[in-house]
Amino acid sequence: MEFKDYYQTLGVSRDASADDIKHAYRKLARKYHPDLNKGADAEAKFKELGEAYEVLKDPEKRAAYDDVGKRWQGGGGRPPPDWNAGYEFSGADLGGDFAEHSDFFEALFGRAARGARARAQGMPRGQDHHAKVLIDLLDAYRGAQRSIRLHAPALDAQGRLSMAERTLDVAIPIGVREGQHLRLAGQGAPGFDGGAAGDLYLEIGFHPHPLFRVDGRDVILDLPVAPWEAALGATIDVPMPDGSVTLTIPAGSAEGRKLRLKGKGIPGKTPGDLFVVLRVTLPREASATQQQAWRSLAQAYQGEFKPRAAMEVK
Amino acid sequence: MKGSMLTILQCQVVEEELELSLGELCQACGAESDLVGQLVAHGVLEPRGDSPQGWVFVGASLQRTRQAMRLMHDLELNLPGVALALDLMEQIRQLEQQLQAAARSPRGG
Repeated sequence: MEFKDYYQTLGVSRDASADDIKHAYRKLARKYHPDLNKGADAEAKFKELGEAYEVLKDPEKRAAYDDVGKRWQGGGGRPPPDWNAGYEFSGADLGGDFAEHSDFFEALFGRAARGARARAQGMPRGQDHHAKVLIDLLDAYRGAQRSIRLHAPALDAQGRLSMAERTLDVAIPIGVREGQHLRLAGQGAPGFDGGAAGDLYLEIGFHPHPLFRVDGRDVILDLPVAPWEAALGATIDVPMPDGSVTLTIPAGSAEGRKLRLKGKGIPGKTPGDLFVVLRVTLPREASATQQQAWRSLAQAYQGEFKPRAAMEVK
Repeated sequence: MKGSMLTILQCQVVEEELELSLGELCQACGAESDLVGQLVAHGVLEPRGDSPQGWVFVGASLQRTRQAMRLMHDLELNLPGVALALDLMEQIRQLEQQLQAAARSPRGG
């Protein structure tokens, strides 16, 4: 178990006031919030911020955390055997339902915060659950059956919360897109007193694909082409997420030219388009004969091709 | 709840196939109906229907409500703040689309 330095995460000193902590958190949270920052590590960073703030904003938790920190340091960087025992907390506040905590946090503060919410409302129907799942782009083109493994807190026989794992076999519908939700009726939390189970919502994301990028319904492919293919035009076999097509590159195509394959994006009532972006690529090396060929090309264009005409230097 | 299941579970795409009542939206998001009412009052959600009992929300409201709840909780925003943030995020999204469409239109060559 690794000790988490929550003060360092928020960039505040150990004697920071409650206001300092709030200020630091708000500023960093705006910067790294996954709804605002699409960067790859923003989500992980934001989770750390949230956890640090959850502890440091609450005087009880902060005191317990500070105490553990002192004992931990006393042990030469190793946790004392019962480092997390004997801390008691009032109530289960905070929207812990969005938060996933580190092992360190859960060992110290427990997981009770999450389970407690379900009963608070006294509704006979079980809570609806949410989970994020990643599928392949091809699944959205063809539909698929996927086994999805989920972890959720559940009460064990002793009435304690622990993480239970279950596997669901789900029919992924054709045409589902990133950010959309699949509803699985009755797969949420069990109901109380004979009430119906809640539903499970799966938020869809795509595994990164080595060739294709996805933008809503549209799919984008960067296609390397040789300079002569761009200049003279060419007929090229191009991979598609669910097969391949033969594409005609028009003569005189510039670097970055986008060719639209209408309706070849993610299928649906309004299917997306697939955009092929031409990337003019130069050979890495040139033999003596090939260098000669480039020189003849230069000669043939002498005085006629001026790529820097707009930025002439006096 | 353990054990592997042999049946393939069918599901619906919320954003494409479903419309939600106030109760269903609250249940799906774990939201109080008060909060959803406030989101409607601030124009974050725009259901059809005149009264809360008759409200019908399009499927995309699920995503929007959860996003609003996340922003309110995580960034400690109030309702006008979250309404503004969502509007601006939507504008950014549209501008990005226009930008891409513009980059697409000039012919190569």
